Amino acid sequence: MPIIEISGLSKTYQRGKLRAVDNLSLAVEKGTVFSLLGPNGAGKTTLIKILLSLTHATSGQASIFNLPVNDTNIHRRIGYLSENHRFPEFLNPLQVLTHFGAMSDLEPGHLKNKIPLVIEFVGLKGWEKVKIKKFSKGMRQRLGIAHALLNDPEILFLDEPTDGIDPVGRKEIRDLILKLKNDGCTIFMNSHLLSEVERISDIVVIMKNGKILRQGTVDQFTEVQNQYELQLQSNHLSPALDGLISSWNLQPQPGLNRWLLQTGGTDSLNRCIDDLRRADIRIEALVPKKISLEDYFIDVVGE
Amino acid sequence: MMRPFLAILRLTLRESFARRTFQAFLAISSIVALLFLFALNLDIVDGMQSAISLFGFELEQQVNLSRFVTQMEGAITILLFSGGIFMSLFATSSLIPSLLQPGIIDLYIAKPVSRPLILTARWLGGILIVAINITYLILSTWLIISLKSGIWNSGYLLALFPILLAFTALFTFMTFVGLISANGPLSLMLTYAIIFFSPLLMQRDEIYALLSAKIYSYLLDGLYYILPKMAEMGALSMKLTLHNEITDGWVLFHAAGFVLVLGLINLVIFQRKNF
Repeated sequence: MPIIEISGLSKTYQRGKLRAVDNLSLAVEKGTVFSLLGPNGAGKTTLIKILLSLTHATSGQASIFNLPVNDTNIHRRIGYLSENHRFPEFLNPLQVLTHFGAMSDLEPGHLKNKIPLVIEFVGLKGWEKVKIKKFSKGMRQRLGIAHALLNDPEILFLDEPTDGIDPVGRKEIRDLILKLKNDGCTIFMNSHLLSEVERISDIVVIMKNGKILRQGTVDQFTEVQNQYELQLQSNHLSPALDGLISSWNLQPQPGLNRWLLQTGGTDSLNRCIDDLRRADIRIEALVPKKISLEDYFIDVVGE
Repeated sequence: MMRPFLAILRLTLRESFARRTFQAFLAISSIVALLFLFALNLDIVDGMQSAISLFGFELEQQVNLSRFVTQMEGAITILLFSGGIFMSLFATSSLIPSLLQPGIIDLYIAKPVSRPLILTARWLGGILIVAINITYLILSTWLIISLKSGIWNSGYLLALFPILLAFTALFTFMTFVGLISANGPLSLMLTYAIIFFSPLLMQRDEIYALLSAKIYSYLLDGLYYILPKMAEMGALSMKLTLHNEITDGWVLFHAAGFVLVLGLINLVIFQRKNF
Protein backbone atom coordinates (compact mmCIF):
# COMPACT_ATOMS: atom_id res chain seq x y z
CA MET A 1 0.00 0.00 0.00
CA PRO A 2 1.42 3.40 -0.93
CA ILE A 3 2.73 5.53 1.92
CA ILE A 4 2.52 8.71 -0.19
CA GLU A 5 -0.30 9.24 -2.67
CA ILE A 6 -0.64 12.16 -5.04
CA SER A 7 -3.56 12.60 -7.38
CA GLY A 8 -4.11 15.33 -9.98
CA LEU A 9 -1.90 17.73 -8.04
CA SER A 10 -1.30 21.18 -9.51
CA LYS A 11 0.38 24.33 -8.28
CA THR A 12 0.17 27.49 -10.31
CA TYR A 13 1.67 30.92 -9.79
CA GLN A 14 1.01 34.31 -11.36
CA ARG A 15 -2.73 33.63 -11.59
CA GLY A 16 -2.30 30.39 -13.43
CA LYS A 17 0.27 31.60 -15.96
CA LEU A 18 3.07 29.57 -14.43
CA ARG A 19 2.38 25.91 -13.71
CA ALA A 20 5.04 24.66 -11.30
CA VAL A 21 3.29 21.30 -10.83
CA ASP A 22 0.86 20.22 -13.50
CA ASN A 23 -1.83 17.61 -12.80
CA LEU A 24 0.68 15.22 -11.26
CA SER A 25 -0.20 11.79 -9.90
CA LEU A 26 2.09 9.25 -8.30
CA ALA A 27 2.38 6.80 -5.43
CA VAL A 28 5.36 5.91 -3.28
CA GLU A 29 5.60 2.49 -1.68
CA LYS A 30 6.86 1.99 1.86
CA GLY A 31 10.54 1.20 2.26
CA THR A 32 11.66 2.44 -1.15
CA VAL A 33 14.19 5.05 -2.18
CA PHE A 34 12.18 7.33 -4.43
CA SER A 35 14.05 9.96 -6.42
CA LEU A 36 12.88 12.98 -8.33
CA LEU A 37 14.99 14.15 -11.24
CA GLY A 38 14.52 17.09 -13.50
CA PRO A 39 16.11 20.27 -14.79
CA ASN A 40 15.84 23.49 -12.79
CA GLY A 41 12.25 24.67 -12.64
CA ALA A 42 10.86 21.18 -13.24
CA GLY A 43 8.72 21.41 -10.08
CA LYS A 44 10.65 18.96 -7.88
CA THR A 45 11.15 21.29 -4.93
CA THR A 46 7.59 22.61 -5.26
CA LEU A 47 6.32 19.04 -5.05
CA ILE A 48 8.33 18.35 -1.88
CA LYS A 49 7.14 21.65 -0.43
CA ILE A 50 3.50 20.73 -1.10
CA LEU A 51 4.02 17.36 0.58
CA LEU A 52 5.50 19.11 3.62
CA SER A 53 2.76 21.75 3.63
CA LEU A 54 5.25 24.55 3.03
CA THR A 55 3.34 25.44 -0.10
CA HIS A 56 -0.37 24.96 -0.72
CA ALA A 57 -1.50 23.10 -3.82
CA THR A 58 -3.83 24.94 -6.21
CA SER A 59 -5.78 21.76 -6.94
CA GLY A 60 -5.61 18.00 -6.51
CA GLN A 61 -4.94 15.80 -3.52
CA ALA A 62 -1.84 14.65 -1.70
CA SER A 63 -1.72 12.41 1.34
CA ILE A 64 0.93 10.85 3.53
CA PHE A 65 0.05 7.90 5.79
CA ASN A 66 -3.49 8.35 4.41
CA LEU A 67 -3.71 11.79 6.01
CA PRO A 68 -4.03 15.03 4.03
CA VAL A 69 -0.65 16.76 3.82
CA ASN A 70 -1.83 19.80 5.78
CA ASP A 71 -2.30 17.63 8.89
CA THR A 72 0.70 18.57 11.07
CA ASN A 73 0.50 15.19 12.86
CA ILE A 74 2.19 13.74 9.76
CA HIS A 75 5.29 15.70 10.70
CA ARG A 76 5.75 13.60 13.83
CA ARG A 77 6.57 10.66 11.58
CA ILE A 78 8.69 12.32 8.92
CA GLY A 79 12.10 13.93 8.70
CA TYR A 80 13.11 16.68 6.30
CA LEU A 81 16.44 17.97 5.10
CA SER A 82 15.75 21.12 3.13
CA GLU A 83 17.95 22.51 0.40
CA ASN A 84 20.21 25.25 1.83
CA HIS A 85 18.86 24.84 5.36
CA ARG A 86 20.14 27.45 7.77
CA PHE A 87 20.44 26.63 11.43
CA PRO A 88 21.05 29.54 13.82
CA GLU A 89 24.78 30.25 13.57
CA PHE A 90 25.11 31.10 17.24
CA LEU A 91 24.11 27.59 18.32
CA ASN A 92 26.21 24.44 18.48
CA PRO A 93 24.94 21.03 17.25
CA LEU A 94 23.84 20.03 20.73
CA GLN A 95 21.72 23.17 21.04
CA VAL A 96 20.36 22.85 17.50
CA LEU A 97 19.27 19.27 18.06
CA THR A 98 17.79 20.09 21.47
CA HIS A 99 15.84 22.99 19.96
CA PHE A 100 14.51 21.09 16.95
CA GLY A 101 13.86 18.04 19.10
CA ALA A 102 11.64 20.21 21.29
CA MET A 103 10.04 21.60 18.10
CA SER A 104 9.21 17.99 17.23
CA ASP A 105 7.61 17.71 20.67
CA LEU A 106 10.07 15.00 21.73
CA GLU A 107 10.46 14.27 25.45
CA PRO A 108 13.65 15.77 26.96
CA GLY A 109 14.58 12.32 28.33
CA HIS A 110 14.27 10.75 24.90
CA LEU A 111 16.29 13.57 23.34
CA LYS A 112 19.07 13.18 25.87
CA ASN A 113 19.59 9.60 24.71
CA LYS A 114 18.86 10.20 21.03
CA ILE A 115 21.09 13.22 20.36
CA PRO A 116 24.45 11.44 20.98
CA LEU A 117 23.28 8.58 18.75
CA VAL A 118 22.40 10.77 15.75
CA ILE A 119 25.55 12.84 16.22
CA GLU A 120 27.63 9.67 16.08
CA PHE A 121 25.56 8.34 13.19
CA VAL A 122 26.37 11.36 10.98
CA GLY A 123 30.00 11.52 12.10
CA LEU A 124 29.91 14.74 14.09
CA LYS A 125 31.17 13.26 17.35
CA GLY A 126 33.61 15.67 18.98
CA TRP A 127 31.92 18.67 17.32
CA GLU A 128 28.87 18.78 19.59
CA LYS A 129 29.87 22.00 21.32
CA VAL A 130 31.44 23.87 18.42
CA LYS A 131 29.43 26.82 17.07
CA ILE A 132 27.88 26.10 13.66
CA LYS A 133 29.40 29.24 12.16
CA LYS A 134 32.71 27.34 12.15
CA PHE A 135 31.22 24.40 10.21
CA SER A 136 31.93 23.55 6.57
CA LYS A 137 29.08 22.98 4.13
CA GLY A 138 29.49 19.23 4.49
CA MET A 139 29.32 19.38 8.28
CA ARG A 140 26.19 21.52 8.11
CA GLN A 141 24.66 18.96 5.78
CA ARG A 142 25.47 16.18 8.23
CA LEU A 143 23.89 18.18 11.02
CA GLY A 144 20.84 18.68 8.81
CA ILE A 145 20.56 14.93 8.39
CA ALA A 146 21.04 14.40 12.14
CA HIS A 147 18.20 16.84 12.85
CA ALA A 148 15.97 15.05 10.34
CA LEU A 149 16.60 11.71 12.07
CA LEU A 150 15.83 12.83 15.62
CA ASN A 151 12.25 11.56 15.60
CA ASP A 152 13.06 8.19 13.95
CA PRO A 153 11.15 9.13 10.79
CA GLU A 154 9.21 6.63 8.72
CA ILE A 155 9.72 8.86 5.67
CA LEU A 156 12.79 10.99 5.10
CA PHE A 157 12.49 13.87 2.62
CA LEU A 158 15.89 14.88 1.29
CA ASP A 159 16.24 17.92 -0.93
CA GLU A 160 19.70 17.81 -2.52
CA PRO A 161 21.27 15.77 0.31
CA THR A 162 24.76 15.58 -1.20
CA ASP A 163 24.92 19.18 -2.36
CA GLY A 164 28.33 20.67 -1.58
CA ILE A 165 29.70 17.47 -0.12
CA ASP A 166 33.01 15.93 -1.19
CA PRO A 167 33.11 12.42 -2.74
CA VAL A 168 33.96 10.74 0.58
CA GLY A 169 31.12 12.55 2.31
CA ARG A 170 28.78 11.64 -0.54
CA LYS A 171 29.62 7.99 -0.13
CA GLU A 172 28.95 8.24 3.59
CA ILE A 173 25.56 9.84 2.97
CA ARG A 174 24.79 7.21 0.36
CA ASP A 175 25.64 4.45 2.84
CA LEU A 176 23.54 6.22 5.45
CA ILE A 177 20.54 6.37 3.11
CA LEU A 178 20.88 2.68 2.29
CA LYS A 179 21.15 1.84 5.98
CA LEU A 180 17.97 3.81 6.67
CA LYS A 181 16.25 2.04 3.81
CA ASN A 182 17.30 -1.33 5.25
CA ASP A 183 15.78 -0.22 8.55
CA GLY A 184 12.45 0.25 6.74
CA CYS A 185 12.59 4.00 6.23
CA THR A 186 11.13 5.39 3.00
CA ILE A 187 13.38 7.95 1.31
CA PHE A 188 11.89 10.65 -0.90
CA MET A 189 14.79 12.40 -2.53
CA ASN A 190 15.44 15.22 -4.93
CA SER A 191 18.96 15.39 -6.29
CA HIS A 192 20.94 16.83 -9.16
CA LEU A 193 23.69 14.26 -8.71
CA LEU A 194 22.49 11.60 -11.09
CA SER A 195 25.32 9.21 -10.30
CA GLU A 196 24.15 9.20 -6.66
CA VAL A 197 20.53 8.70 -7.65
CA GLU A 198 21.51 5.85 -9.96
CA ARG A 199 23.32 4.03 -7.18
CA ILE A 200 20.68 4.13 -4.48
CA SER A 201 17.22 4.67 -5.99
CA ASP A 202 14.53 2.04 -6.37
CA ILE A 203 12.16 4.27 -8.31
CA VAL A 204 13.09 7.32 -10.33
CA VAL A 205 10.71 9.96 -11.63
CA ILE A 206 11.88 12.39 -14.29
CA MET A 207 9.99 15.68 -14.28
CA LYS A 208 9.93 18.63 -16.62
CA ASN A 209 7.67 21.68 -16.60
CA GLY A 210 5.74 20.30 -13.63
CA LYS A 211 4.84 17.03 -15.38
CA ILE A 212 6.16 13.49 -15.07
CA LEU A 213 8.02 12.49 -18.22
CA ARG A 214 9.12 9.03 -17.08
CA GLN A 215 8.73 6.83 -14.03
CA GLY A 216 10.47 3.52 -13.44
CA THR A 217 13.38 1.67 -11.92
CA VAL A 218 16.98 2.64 -12.66
CA ASP A 219 17.43 -0.66 -14.58
CA GLN A 220 14.42 0.10 -16.76
CA PHE A 221 15.93 3.44 -17.67
CA THR A 222 19.51 2.39 -18.22
CA GLU A 223 19.16 -1.00 -19.90
CA VAL A 224 19.54 -1.04 -23.67
CA GLN A 225 17.32 -3.67 -25.31
CA ASN A 226 19.15 -6.61 -26.98
CA GLN A 227 22.63 -5.16 -26.68
CA TYR A 228 25.37 -6.91 -24.73
CA GLU A 229 28.97 -6.26 -23.91
CA LEU A 230 31.10 -9.27 -24.63
CA GLN A 231 34.48 -9.83 -23.01
CA LEU A 232 36.55 -12.63 -24.50
CA GLN A 233 39.54 -14.33 -22.91
CA SER A 234 42.59 -13.09 -24.77
CA ASN A 235 44.71 -16.29 -24.60
CA HIS A 236 41.94 -18.41 -26.09
CA LEU A 237 41.30 -16.49 -29.29
CA SER A 238 40.68 -18.67 -32.29
CA PRO A 239 41.34 -17.85 -35.96
CA ALA A 240 37.61 -18.34 -36.44
CA LEU A 241 36.98 -15.14 -34.53
CA ASP A 242 37.40 -12.94 -37.59
CA GLY A 243 34.58 -14.77 -39.33
CA LEU A 244 32.34 -14.54 -36.28
CA ILE A 245 33.04 -10.83 -35.94
CA SER A 246 31.73 -10.18 -39.42
CA SER A 247 28.84 -12.68 -39.24
CA TRP A 248 27.57 -11.33 -35.87
CA ASN A 249 28.56 -7.76 -36.64
CA LEU A 250 30.53 -7.43 -33.39
CA GLN A 251 31.55 -3.84 -32.76
CA PRO A 252 34.88 -3.24 -31.02
CA GLN A 253 34.67 -1.50 -27.67
CA PRO A 254 37.35 0.29 -25.65
CA GLY A 255 39.60 -2.28 -23.93
CA LEU A 256 41.20 -5.53 -25.04
CA ASN A 257 38.86 -8.13 -26.63
CA ARG A 258 35.71 -6.26 -25.73
CA TRP A 259 32.90 -6.30 -28.24
CA LEU A 260 29.38 -4.99 -28.52
CA LEU A 261 26.87 -7.61 -29.56
CA GLN A 262 23.52 -6.58 -30.96
CA THR A 263 20.99 -9.40 -31.20
CA GLY A 264 17.41 -9.79 -32.31
CA GLY A 265 16.44 -11.37 -29.00
CA THR A 266 17.32 -14.13 -26.55
CA ASP A 267 17.35 -16.86 -29.23
CA SER A 268 19.85 -15.03 -31.36
CA LEU A 269 21.96 -14.25 -28.25
CA ASN A 270 22.13 -17.94 -27.44
CA ARG A 271 23.02 -18.81 -31.03
CA CYS A 272 25.91 -16.36 -30.91
CA ILE A 273 27.17 -17.92 -27.65
CA ASP A 274 26.92 -21.39 -29.26
CA ASP A 275 28.94 -20.19 -32.29
CA LEU A 276 31.63 -18.71 -30.07
CA ARG A 277 31.90 -21.84 -27.95
CA ARG A 278 32.00 -24.09 -31.01
CA ALA A 279 34.98 -22.06 -32.25
CA ASP A 280 36.59 -22.69 -28.80
CA ILE A 281 36.49 -19.02 -27.93
CA ARG A 282 36.23 -18.51 -24.18
CA ILE A 283 33.72 -15.95 -22.96
CA GLU A 284 34.94 -14.10 -19.90
CA ALA A 285 31.86 -11.94 -19.41
CA LEU A 286 28.59 -11.15 -21.08
CA VAL A 287 26.62 -8.26 -19.61
CA PRO A 288 23.55 -6.41 -20.87
CA LYS A 289 24.58 -3.07 -22.29
CA LYS A 290 23.60 -0.16 -20.10
CA ILE A 291 23.72 3.56 -20.55
CA SER A 292 24.21 5.85 -17.61
CA LEU A 293 21.19 7.43 -15.97
CA GLU A 294 22.69 10.76 -16.90
CA ASP A 295 22.64 9.88 -20.62
CA TYR A 296 19.06 8.65 -20.33
CA PHE A 297 18.04 11.75 -18.41
CA ILE A 298 19.57 14.08 -20.99
CA ASP A 299 17.81 12.19 -23.79
CA VAL A 300 14.45 12.37 -22.02
CA VAL A 301 14.50 16.03 -20.99
CA GLY A 302 15.88 16.98 -24.40
CA GLU A 303 12.94 15.37 -26.22
CA MET B 1 2.07 21.86 22.17
CA MET B 2 3.69 23.85 24.96
CA ARG B 3 7.12 22.34 24.32
CA PRO B 4 7.49 23.64 20.71
CA PHE B 5 5.96 26.95 21.75
CA LEU B 6 8.48 27.41 24.55
CA ALA B 7 11.30 26.26 22.27
CA ILE B 8 10.53 29.04 19.76
CA LEU B 9 10.17 31.59 22.56
CA ARG B 10 13.50 30.52 24.05
CA LEU B 11 15.27 30.64 20.68
CA THR B 12 13.89 34.14 19.98
CA LEU B 13 15.35 35.36 23.27
CA ARG B 14 18.63 33.57 22.54
CA GLU B 15 18.74 35.14 19.09
CA SER B 16 18.41 38.64 20.47
CA PHE B 17 21.15 37.78 23.00
CA ALA B 18 23.36 36.58 20.16
CA ARG B 19 22.74 39.77 18.20
CA ARG B 20 23.71 41.75 21.31
CA THR B 21 20.52 43.83 21.01
CA PHE B 22 19.24 42.48 24.31
CA GLN B 23 22.49 43.29 26.10
CA ALA B 24 22.70 46.75 24.49
CA PHE B 25 19.18 47.43 25.66
CA LEU B 26 19.93 46.23 29.21
CA ALA B 27 23.17 48.23 29.26
CA ILE B 28 21.37 51.46 28.28
CA SER B 29 18.67 50.80 30.90
CA SER B 30 21.35 50.15 33.52
CA ILE B 31 23.20 53.34 32.60
CA VAL B 32 19.97 55.36 32.99
CA ALA B 33 19.29 53.71 36.37
CA LEU B 34 22.88 54.29 37.53
CA LEU B 35 22.69 57.93 36.46
CA PHE B 36 19.78 58.41 38.80
CA LEU B 37 21.50 56.44 41.52
CA PHE B 38 24.60 58.63 41.50
CA ALA B 39 23.44 61.90 39.96
CA LEU B 40 20.34 62.56 42.03
CA ASN B 41 20.93 63.89 45.52
CA LEU B 42 18.09 64.80 47.79
CA ASP B 43 18.52 66.19 51.26
CA ILE B 44 15.29 65.61 53.06
CA VAL B 45 14.45 66.91 56.51
CA ASP B 46 11.16 65.91 58.14
CA GLY B 47 9.71 64.80 54.82
CA MET B 48 10.48 68.15 53.14
CA GLN B 49 13.40 68.69 50.84
CA SER B 50 16.03 71.12 51.95
CA ALA B 51 18.17 70.73 48.83
CA ILE B 52 17.98 68.93 45.52
CA SER B 53 20.83 68.39 43.15
CA LEU B 54 20.69 66.62 39.83
CA PHE B 55 23.83 65.80 37.83
CA GLY B 56 25.74 68.03 40.28
CA PHE B 57 23.54 71.10 39.74
CA GLU B 58 21.82 72.47 42.81
CA LEU B 59 18.23 73.46 42.14
CA GLU B 60 17.98 76.94 43.63
CA GLN B 61 14.28 77.64 43.65
CA GLN B 62 11.99 75.95 46.11
CA VAL B 63 10.47 72.91 44.43
CA ASN B 64 7.74 70.71 45.78
CA LEU B 65 9.47 67.33 46.28
CA SER B 66 6.48 65.25 45.22
CA ARG B 67 6.03 67.35 42.09
CA PHE B 68 9.74 67.17 41.35
CA VAL B 69 9.75 63.37 41.61
CA THR B 70 6.66 62.85 39.45
CA GLN B 71 7.97 65.29 36.84
CA MET B 72 11.30 63.50 36.76
CA GLU B 73 9.51 60.18 36.34
CA GLY B 74 7.31 61.84 33.71
CA ALA B 75 10.45 62.79 31.81
CA ILE B 76 11.64 59.17 31.89
CA THR B 77 8.18 58.05 30.75
CA ILE B 78 8.34 60.34 27.71
CA LEU B 79 11.91 59.23 27.04
CA LEU B 80 10.80 55.61 27.16
CA PHE B 81 7.71 56.20 25.07
CA SER B 82 9.66 57.89 22.30
CA GLY B 83 13.28 56.68 22.40
CA GLY B 84 12.54 53.37 24.13
CA ILE B 85 9.90 52.30 21.62
CA PHE B 86 12.01 53.62 18.75
CA MET B 87 14.97 51.48 19.87
CA SER B 88 12.77 48.48 20.67
CA LEU B 89 11.31 48.49 17.18
CA PHE B 90 14.78 48.75 15.70
CA ALA B 91 16.00 45.84 17.84
CA THR B 92 13.09 43.58 16.91
CA SER B 93 12.58 44.58 13.27
CA SER B 94 14.38 41.56 11.85
CA LEU B 95 12.70 38.92 14.03
CA ILE B 96 9.84 38.13 11.64
CA PRO B 97 11.63 38.60 8.28
CA SER B 98 14.51 36.41 9.49
CA LEU B 99 12.04 33.65 10.40
CA LEU B 100 10.57 33.77 6.89
CA GLN B 101 13.88 33.26 5.09
CA PRO B 102 14.19 30.17 2.88
CA GLY B 103 16.12 27.50 4.71
CA ILE B 104 14.82 28.68 8.10
CA ILE B 105 11.04 28.67 7.78
CA ASP B 106 11.20 25.20 6.14
CA LEU B 107 12.76 23.78 9.29
CA TYR B 108 9.90 25.13 11.41
CA ILE B 109 6.94 24.25 9.22
CA ALA B 110 8.21 20.70 8.68
CA LYS B 111 7.79 20.11 12.42
CA PRO B 112 4.53 18.96 14.03
CA VAL B 113 3.59 22.50 14.96
CA SER B 114 0.77 24.58 13.51
CA ARG B 115 1.67 27.75 11.64
CA PRO B 116 -0.32 30.03 14.00
CA LEU B 117 1.66 28.63 16.94
CA ILE B 118 4.98 29.34 15.20
CA LEU B 119 4.07 32.95 14.46
CA THR B 120 2.48 33.58 17.86
CA ALA B 121 5.52 32.25 19.70
CA ARG B 122 7.89 34.36 17.59
CA TRP B 123 5.72 37.48 18.01
CA LEU B 124 5.43 36.94 21.75
CA GLY B 125 9.20 36.40 21.94
CA GLY B 126 9.74 39.85 20.42
CA ILE B 127 7.34 41.44 22.90
CA LEU B 128 8.90 39.55 25.79
CA ILE B 129 12.39 40.89 24.99
CA VAL B 130 11.11 44.47 25.04
CA ALA B 131 8.87 43.90 28.07
CA ILE B 132 11.82 42.57 30.10
CA ASN B 133 13.94 45.59 29.19
CA ILE B 134 11.28 48.27 29.71
CA THR B 135 10.12 46.68 32.97
CA TYR B 136 13.73 46.53 34.15
CA LEU B 137 14.27 50.23 33.36
CA ILE B 138 11.03 51.43 34.95
CA LEU B 139 11.36 49.22 38.02
CA SER B 140 14.99 50.10 38.64
CA THR B 141 14.52 53.87 38.23
CA TRP B 142 11.29 53.73 40.28
CA LEU B 143 13.07 51.93 43.11
CA ILE B 144 16.07 54.30 43.08
CA ILE B 145 13.98 57.48 42.93
CA SER B 146 11.45 56.21 45.46
CA LEU B 147 14.12 55.05 47.92
CA LYS B 148 15.97 58.36 47.61
CA SER B 149 12.90 60.57 47.81
CA GLY B 150 10.57 58.48 49.93
CA ILE B 151 7.83 59.16 47.37
CA TRP B 152 6.40 55.97 45.88
CA ASN B 153 4.63 57.01 42.70
CA SER B 154 2.53 54.05 41.54
CA GLY B 155 1.41 56.01 38.45
CA TYR B 156 4.94 55.70 37.08
CA LEU B 157 4.71 51.92 37.32
CA LEU B 158 1.29 51.96 35.66
CA ALA B 159 2.77 53.89 32.72
CA LEU B 160 4.51 50.63 31.84
CA PHE B 161 1.26 49.23 30.43
CA PRO B 162 0.46 51.91 27.81
CA ILE B 163 4.14 51.88 26.77
CA LEU B 164 4.11 48.11 26.30
CA LEU B 165 0.72 48.20 24.60
CA ALA B 166 1.95 50.90 22.23
CA PHE B 167 5.00 48.79 21.40
CA THR B 168 2.82 45.68 20.98
CA ALA B 169 0.53 47.51 18.53
CA LEU B 170 3.48 48.79 16.51
CA PHE B 171 5.25 45.42 16.61
CA THR B 172 2.05 43.76 15.35
CA PHE B 173 1.98 46.24 12.48
CA MET B 174 5.67 45.58 11.82
CA THR B 175 4.90 41.84 11.80
CA PHE B 176 2.13 42.49 9.26
CA VAL B 177 4.46 44.36 6.89
CA GLY B 178 7.21 41.81 7.53
CA LEU B 179 4.87 38.95 6.59
CA ILE B 180 3.84 40.62 3.37
CA SER B 181 7.24 41.93 2.31
CA ALA B 182 9.74 39.71 4.23
CA ASN B 183 11.74 42.93 4.38
CA GLY B 184 12.97 44.11 7.80
CA PRO B 185 14.02 47.67 6.85
CA LEU B 186 10.74 48.30 4.98
CA SER B 187 8.61 47.10 7.90
CA LEU B 188 10.66 49.28 10.25
CA MET B 189 10.30 52.39 8.08
CA LEU B 190 6.53 52.00 7.71
CA THR B 191 6.18 51.47 11.46
CA TYR B 192 8.23 54.57 12.19
CA ALA B 193 5.88 56.42 9.82
CA ILE B 194 2.97 55.61 12.16
CA ILE B 195 4.86 57.14 15.09
CA PHE B 196 5.76 60.18 12.98
CA PHE B 197 2.26 60.79 11.61
CA SER B 198 0.37 60.07 14.82
CA PRO B 199 0.70 63.63 16.25
CA LEU B 200 -0.36 65.00 12.84
CA LEU B 201 -3.41 62.77 12.78
CA MET B 202 -4.29 63.93 16.30
CA GLN B 203 -4.31 67.50 14.91
CA ARG B 204 -6.25 66.54 11.79
CA ASP B 205 -8.99 69.13 12.50
CA GLU B 206 -6.43 71.87 11.86
CA ILE B 207 -5.17 70.10 8.73
CA TYR B 208 -8.68 69.86 7.19
CA ALA B 209 -8.69 73.61 6.61
CA LEU B 210 -5.60 73.26 4.42
CA LEU B 211 -7.00 70.45 2.27
CA SER B 212 -8.57 71.13 -1.10
CA ALA B 213 -10.69 67.98 -1.48
CA LYS B 214 -13.01 66.28 0.97
CA ILE B 215 -11.53 62.89 0.09
CA TYR B 216 -8.31 63.75 1.96
CA SER B 217 -10.22 64.43 5.14
CA TYR B 218 -11.92 61.03 4.82
CA LEU B 219 -8.49 59.50 4.30
CA LEU B 220 -7.07 61.22 7.38
CA ASP B 221 -10.12 60.21 9.43
CA GLY B 222 -9.75 56.64 8.22
CA LEU B 223 -6.08 56.51 9.18
CA TYR B 224 -6.82 58.14 12.52
CA TYR B 225 -9.48 55.62 13.48
CA ILE B 226 -7.58 52.59 12.18
CA LEU B 227 -4.00 53.18 13.29
CA PRO B 228 -2.92 53.03 16.93
CA LYS B 229 -3.00 56.50 18.48
CA MET B 230 0.60 56.87 19.52
CA ALA B 231 0.44 60.55 20.42
CA GLU B 232 -2.60 60.02 22.64
CA MET B 233 -1.04 56.94 24.26
CA GLY B 234 2.13 58.90 25.00
CA ALA B 235 0.03 61.61 26.62
CA LEU B 236 -1.86 58.96 28.56
CA SER B 237 1.35 57.46 29.98
CA MET B 238 2.39 60.95 31.10
CA LYS B 239 -0.99 61.51 32.75
CA LEU B 240 -0.66 58.21 34.61
CA THR B 241 2.80 59.17 35.86
CA LEU B 242 1.76 62.69 36.83
CA HIS B 243 -1.54 61.51 38.36
CA ASN B 244 -3.53 63.74 36.01
CA GLU B 245 -7.11 62.96 35.15
CA ILE B 246 -7.46 60.27 32.45
CA THR B 247 -10.05 61.21 29.86
CA ASP B 248 -8.80 59.26 26.88
CA GLY B 249 -8.53 55.74 28.28
CA TRP B 250 -10.36 54.50 25.21
CA VAL B 251 -7.12 54.71 23.19
CA LEU B 252 -5.88 51.70 25.17
CA PHE B 253 -8.92 49.68 24.14
CA HIS B 254 -8.45 50.89 20.59
CA ALA B 255 -4.81 49.72 20.63
CA ALA B 256 -5.82 46.37 22.14
CA GLY B 257 -8.47 45.99 19.42
CA PHE B 258 -5.88 46.91 16.77
CA VAL B 259 -3.52 44.21 18.13
CA LEU B 260 -6.30 41.64 18.18
CA VAL B 261 -7.64 42.33 14.68
CA LEU B 262 -4.26 42.79 12.98
CA GLY B 263 -2.88 39.82 14.95
CA LEU B 264 -5.63 37.62 13.53
CA ILE B 265 -5.00 39.00 10.03
CA ASN B 266 -1.31 38.16 10.50
CA LEU B 267 -2.19 34.59 11.46
CA VAL B 268 -4.40 34.20 8.38
CA ILE B 269 -1.67 35.62 6.10
CA PHE B 270 0.94 33.31 7.65
CA GLN B 271 -1.39 30.31 7.42
CA ARG B 272 -2.02 30.90 3.71
CA LYS B 273 1.50 31.89 2.74
CA ASN B 274 3.52 29.77 0.33
CA PHE B 275 7.17 29.24 1.20
